[in-house]
Amino acid sequence: MGGIDVTAALYAFLFYLATLLLVVGTGMKIRRYAKAPAPLKIPTMPAPRTQKGVYFRMFREVVLFESLFKSNKWIWLFGYLFHIGMLVVLLRHIRYFTFDVWWWVEIIQPFGVYASFAMIIGLAGLLVRRIVVNRIRYISSPSDYLMLVLLMGIAGSGMMMKFVTHTDIIMVKGFFLGLMRFQINALPASPILLVHLGSVALLMIIFPISKLLHGPGVFFSPTRNQIDNSREKRHIAPWAKKLEE
Amino acid sequence: MAAYDVNGTSVEHDEEGYITNLGDWTKELADVIAAAEEVDMTDEHWAVVNFLRDYYEEYQIAPAVRVLIKSIKKSMGPEVGNNKYMYELFPYGPAKQACKIAGLPKPTGCV
Amino acid sequence: MAKLDMNAEGGPKFMADPFTIPDIKCGAMEDLESYMAHPKHNTDLGFPGELIDNWQEVAIAKIGELAEKNRAFQVYLDSCVKCGACTDKCHYFLGTGDPKNMPVARQDLLRSVYRRYYTFAGKYFPQLVGARDLTREVLDEWYNYYHQCSQCRRCSVFCPYGIDTAEISMAAREIMDTVGLGQKYCNEIIAKAATVGNNLGLNPKALRATLEDLEEDLEDETGISVRIPLDEKGADVLLITPSADFFAEPHIDGLLGYAKVFHEAGVSWTVSSYASEAANFGMFIGSYENMRTLSLRIRQAAQDLGVKRIVFGECGHAWRVAYSFLNTLAGPFDFLDQNYPIPQHIMEFTHDMIQKDQLKFDKSKNDHIRLTYHDSCNVARGAGMGGYEGGQFDLPREVLKACCNNYFDMERDTIKESTFCCGGGGGLLTDELMDLRVKGSSPRMTALKDVTEEHGVTHMAAICAICKTQFSKVMPKFGYEMDSILSVHQLVSNALILTGQETEEDAAPEGAAAATEVTQ
Repeated sequence: MGGIDVTAALYAFLFYLATLLLVVGTGMKIRRYAKAPAPLKIPTMPAPRTQKGVYFRMFREVVLFESLFKSNKWIWLFGYLFHIGMLVVLLRHIRYFTFDVWWWVEIIQPFGVYASFAMIIGLAGLLVRRIVVNRIRYISSPSDYLMLVLLMGIAGSGMMMKFVTHTDIIMVKGFFLGLMRFQINALPASPILLVHLGSVALLMIIFPISKLLHGPGVFFSPTRNQIDNSREKRHIAPWAKKLEE
Repeated sequence: MAAYDVNGTSVEHDEEGYITNLGDWTKELADVIAAAEEVDMTDEHWAVVNFLRDYYEEYQIAPAVRVLIKSIKKSMGPEVGNNKYMYELFPYGPAKQACKIAGLPKPTGCV
Repeated sequence: MAKLDMNAEGGPKFMADPFTIPDIKCGAMEDLESYMAHPKHNTDLGFPGELIDNWQEVAIAKIGELAEKNRAFQVYLDSCVKCGACTDKCHYFLGTGDPKNMPVARQDLLRSVYRRYYTFAGKYFPQLVGARDLTREVLDEWYNYYHQCSQCRRCSVFCPYGIDTAEISMAAREIMDTVGLGQKYCNEIIAKAATVGNNLGLNPKALRATLEDLEEDLEDETGISVRIPLDEKGADVLLITPSADFFAEPHIDGLLGYAKVFHEAGVSWTVSSYASEAANFGMFIGSYENMRTLSLRIRQAAQDLGVKRIVFGECGHAWRVAYSFLNTLAGPFDFLDQNYPIPQHIMEFTHDMIQKDQLKFDKSKNDHIRLTYHDSCNVARGAGMGGYEGGQFDLPREVLKACCNNYFDMERDTIKESTFCCGGGGGLLTDELMDLRVKGSSPRMTALKDVTEEHGVTHMAAICAICKTQFSKVMPKFGYEMDSILSVHQLVSNALILTGQETEEDAAPEGAAAATEVTQ
C-alpha cells in the first residue's frame, strides 16, 4: 500500500466524528427527555392499568407499529417494510465489526439480501405517497424528501455493491475493525462504497438534530408509556409540588 | 365598541350585542335590540323579557330555561309556555337571545 | 320521527360516509376568529391584559420553559416524522377541508417556531426543515387555528408515537395567554368559576331557588319527595356536576336522574354552592395553575362539608380532569372514604346500583326512543371508569341497556376510542365559532344518520355538558329535532320506578298523586 491513504484517513475521521455526534447528541437529547417531567397523567385511553401492561403496549407500538396499523394500512405497510428491512440489514452488517462472525449473524446473511429489497420498496412507497397524496405533500418540508432520498441512497449503493459491482469487503472489514482499535487501515477505492459510507456517516450526524429522534422519542411518549392509575396513585411533578408549599 | 342607537342616544354593547352597562336598559332599547335580532316584539315576547328582568333583579342571573317556561306556562298557558314555542319566539334560544333583548348578561358556560 | 327533515336550514351537511376525506381547501377557515378576551378577563387569571410589547421574546422564552416543564411538549415537537397517519383523523379537517386543521399541520404551526429558535437545523437551515420566525402573522394564525382544535385527542390514538395535538394546542394557548392574547369564552368563564364557583355565575341564592324548583318538579312527577340538597354538612356524597345541569336542556333532566338514583340508593348527598362546577376550563387553556385553583375549590368544599365521597355528574372534560388529574392537582384525598373510587363517576354509582339489583326500571317508558350513544371524547380517550381498561365504554352502554329496550351502536370506527368529537369541545362552544362547530360535527352526524337509516334511531345520549349543548344547537341543522340529544341519566330517570312510586297501571286516572302525598 505505502504512504498515507488520504481517503481512508478522511473516512476514519468522518466515522469517529459521526459516532461521537450520534452518541453524544442523542445521549443529550435522551437526557433532556428523561429530565423533563410529565406534570399530568395523559395516557391515551383506554390504557393499561399495570406496568406490565405498559410494557406490552410499548412492545406492540415499537415492534408492530400498532397505532399506525390502525390508522393507515398503506403507510403501515411501507413504513414496516422499510423499518424491518433496515433492521435485518443492520444486523447483517455486524459482521463488519466482529472478527469472528457470530453464528446468528451468519444465519441472517441471506435474509439480509431480501431485506434490502423490502427496505427500498418501503422507502419508495413512502416517497411516492409523499409526492402523490395531497395531504402528505402539504405537510412535507424539503428535509422530509431528502431524508428518504438519503436512505434510498444508502440502501441503493449497498445493493449495488452486492448485486452489480462487488467491492473488496474483506478490506472494508479490515478498515472498520481497525477503527475499533484506533488504527487506520486502507479502504477499497470504490466510488460506490465511498458514497455508501459517506451517506451513512451523514445519517449518523443528523440523527440527533432531526426527526430521526422519533426513535428514542417514542419511548418517552407519555400517551403511550403511562399507566392508567391516577385515581389510585398520586402523580406529581417536582415543579408542581413546589406550588403546594 | 359598537353601540345601539336609541333615539339619538348610543348604548354600548359588546361584540355579541349584549349591552355592557346593564343600567342602560330601557323598553325602547329592548325594541332596538329586538329589531337588530330580527325579532318582532309581541306581548308574548314581552312576557318573557319581563319575567327575565324580574328574575334577574332578584337573583342577579338569568333563570334556567325550565324555570322560565314553567312561569310563562302559569301566566300565559301551556300553548306559550313550552320549549318549542319559546324557540319560535326567540329562534336563537330563549336563554341567549331573550337575555340579550332583556338587557341581561349572556349566560356563560356549557349552555 | 326517524325521518330526517332534509329541508333543514341550509340543507343537511352530511358527508358520503363519516370518513370521507375532503379535497384540500387552503385557507378555508383562516378568517374564523374566536372573540379575544377583554383585558379584565386576562388579568383575572394572572395574564397580561393586552398583547405585551415584547410578546415575541416572551413567547419564545415560554416555549423553552414548556419544553423543560412538560416532557410531552418537547418529545412531540421533536418526534413527528410527517408520516401523514393523522391527516384524515380530525373532524375539523374532515368537515372543513382546511389543511391547517390536519393534526400534523396544526402542530407544525408551533413546531416551525420551536425549530427556528430551539433546534440546530432550524437555526441554520430554516427553509430545509420548515422553520419560521415568530411574526405577528404567525401569532394570529396560532390564535385562529389553535381555537379550531377541540383537544379531543382522536389524532393521538392513530399517531405511531402517540403525539397528542391537544397537548400542543393547550401549550399554544398557554403561550398566547402569557403574552396577553387570551380567548374570551374560556378566560371569562374561568374567572367566574374561580370567584362565583361555577361557569354560569350562578350565586348561592339563585342556585338554591333553582334546586327547590326542581324538587317541586320531581315531586309533581313522582309523587315522592326527592331532594336535591345544597350545602348540607355531614352528607356522605358531594356531587360535583357541570353548572349546565342547573340551567340548560337536556342537562337538567340528567340532574333529576342523579337525584332519583341517590334517593333510591338512600345515601345522603349534597351539592356545594362553593364548588358548584365540574367543568374546569383551565385544561382548555393549558394552564396548570388555573386548573389547580379550580380543583382546589372541590377539595375545599369536600372538607368544609365533611363528606366521605365525591361523585361527578355528566361532564366530559371534567371527568378527564377528575379522573386523571384531580389527585395530582388537589390530592391527596386521604380524608375521604378510601373504600370508594376518588372521585367516582355518577355512571359508576348508577351502574353499581344496577349490578346490585337495587334499581327498578320500567323500560317501556323509553319505548318511544330508539337510542344510540355518543362517546364523549374526554371520557373515551382521557379517562377511565369502572376500574378496568375500557370501562368507560361499557358502563354507559350497560346503564342505557338496563333502561331502554331499543339501543343501537354507531359504526365501530366512530365510537369508543375512535369516537368523533361533537364539534364543540375544548373551549369552542361559543356562538362566533358556529360555522366550525357545524362543520366539525358532520362526521358524527353522518354516523348518526347511518344508524337512523339502518335502525330507525331517533335519539342520541351523551354524558358531557358540552356535547349536549353542542348537539342541541347543531342537530336541527342536520334535520334532527333539538331534543334528539339526551342525558344518560334522563333515560335512567324516565324508566326508574322509585320505591313507593305509583305507576300508571296501578294509579287511578286523576288525583292519584295527591292521594299518595296525603298517605305519606
